[in-house]
Amino acid sequence: MSTLRTLLLGTLLHAKHLSRSPFEIALALVIPLVQATLAVYLFRAADEPHRLLEAAVGAGLMGIWSSVLTGSGGAIQRQRWHGTLEMIMLAPRHPVLIILPITAASAVTGTYSLLATLLWGRVVYGIPLDFTHPVAFLVAAVVCVAGLGMFGLLMASTFVLLRNANALANPLEYPIWLLSGMLVPIGALPSWTGPLAAILPTTWGARALREATNGGPVWPSAAICLAISVACLVLGSLFLVSFERRARAAGTLALS
Amino acid sequence: MKTLRLLGTGGVLAYRALFNWTTPAMYIGTLLAGPTFQLLFFAYLGRQLGVADDSFFILGNAVLAASNACVFGGTMAVANERRYGTLGHVLLSPRSRTVIFWGRVLPYAGNGLLIAAFTLLMGVLLLGLRIPLAALPGLALALAAGSLACGFFGLTLGALGLRFRDVWVVSNVSSALLLLLTGVNVPREGLPHWMIGVGQALPITHAAEAARLLAAGRGLGAAAPALVQELLVGAGYALFAAVLLRIFEAESRRRASLETV
Repeated sequence: MSTLRTLLLGTLLHAKHLSRSPFEIALALVIPLVQATLAVYLFRAADEPHRLLEAAVGAGLMGIWSSVLTGSGGAIQRQRWHGTLEMIMLAPRHPVLIILPITAASAVTGTYSLLATLLWGRVVYGIPLDFTHPVAFLVAAVVCVAGLGMFGLLMASTFVLLRNANALANPLEYPIWLLSGMLVPIGALPSWTGPLAAILPTTWGARALREATNGGPVWPSAAICLAISVACLVLGSLFLVSFERRARAAGTLALS
Repeated sequence: MKTLRLLGTGGVLAYRALFNWTTPAMYIGTLLAGPTFQLLFFAYLGRQLGVADDSFFILGNAVLAASNACVFGGTMAVANERRYGTLGHVLLSPRSRTVIFWGRVLPYAGNGLLIAAFTLLMGVLLLGLRIPLAALPGLALALAAGSLACGFFGLTLGALGLRFRDVWVVSNVSSALLLLLTGVNVPREGLPHWMIGVGQALPITHAAEAARLLAAGRGLGAAAPALVQELLVGAGYALFAAVLLRIFEAESRRRASLETV
């Protein structure tokens, strides 16, 4: 119970923290709408108006991933800048319970992207929100956000050792959009990318949302997304503890 | 001669001091790998949708690849002086601040050209783009014009940093809008008229058009009007940045807000 409370309160605290940053707010407000607009005009140019809802959902998911990526890349770095990394690592709780809320908060705030792109598509471009499975869509969206938060922890844990975590985070935006089939179907990619796509929780999350939008078996995809995400959480926990010990031993927690 | 030295040497010194992405890891990750992945994303999306052929997306994204280095670099050229507490020293200089700041754009434009060329090379190697050899000098000119225009556009945004504290919001949003409004990823005839109109006044738009004409083997004569337009856009932003820098410098001195971060 106290673990759950730590996670929930931590997520709320970091979500509030993010919501106080004009930089985060402006980017979260504008960039998903730019991406959604770009997707709408591309799909219109391709004369595929029946896929506009799929494009809006894909653009929203891209926004959630961007938010998680920025949040995970900056999860450790921001604590370093604020001078609070040593303090949170000294907290008498497992490091995962301290870092997971940071990446979960970025996934939760990223949910705005999905809502905004759907609303933008409906209001500005008149895209009907005709989901084949509306309830399953909501559940898949929650699973997807939770999964991305856990995937974010795995990334954040590897960033403990890096001085410039952003260098790794910056170029990861487009590859995950591409490999996960958020806008481009995976079948359009070279076949060697298939195994890479299959181990990403984002692939299954995107698939579950697409199936809830267009029809298809939502639950298996959502379940696989959740299972891979839990594996990421376990792996991220192991990495985090191991890397934290190494950084403590080398005296580089605040410097690396 | 002294002015040229101020432009050249001053620009290079400032580049080394203020450009946040000069470490190898940041440079490769953000400025080389990032644009390459962006190119692949739009090329595969374009293939799947059948909106345009590969060359449309490769050339558009190669020109756009310069924008990150140039737009953010131009912003850093001003904003990072304030961040590192050295803005006052620069503004106290007895030399022309306009020349100082214009000089700063040149290394960023050179860097942008390098990144754009690298991205184009990736397009050739990974996606099999074929470019006529005779088009290469003209393409280099188009990429250079786009980089220079982007650099001055970035400097204009950086000038806003003398007035507004969070200039990075403006840079990030502007960078995202370049993706949409310049027609590098959506054929411009598919965009609304007002977006096309805004795109005409933005860097990259005309350079991308020139690059596509050149790669299609249409020759420098056909691409010249677009190249001239790109250079005019760049010159316009250079003047606009100089005016903004003067106004905001005077205002910052008057309001004693020069070092307010």
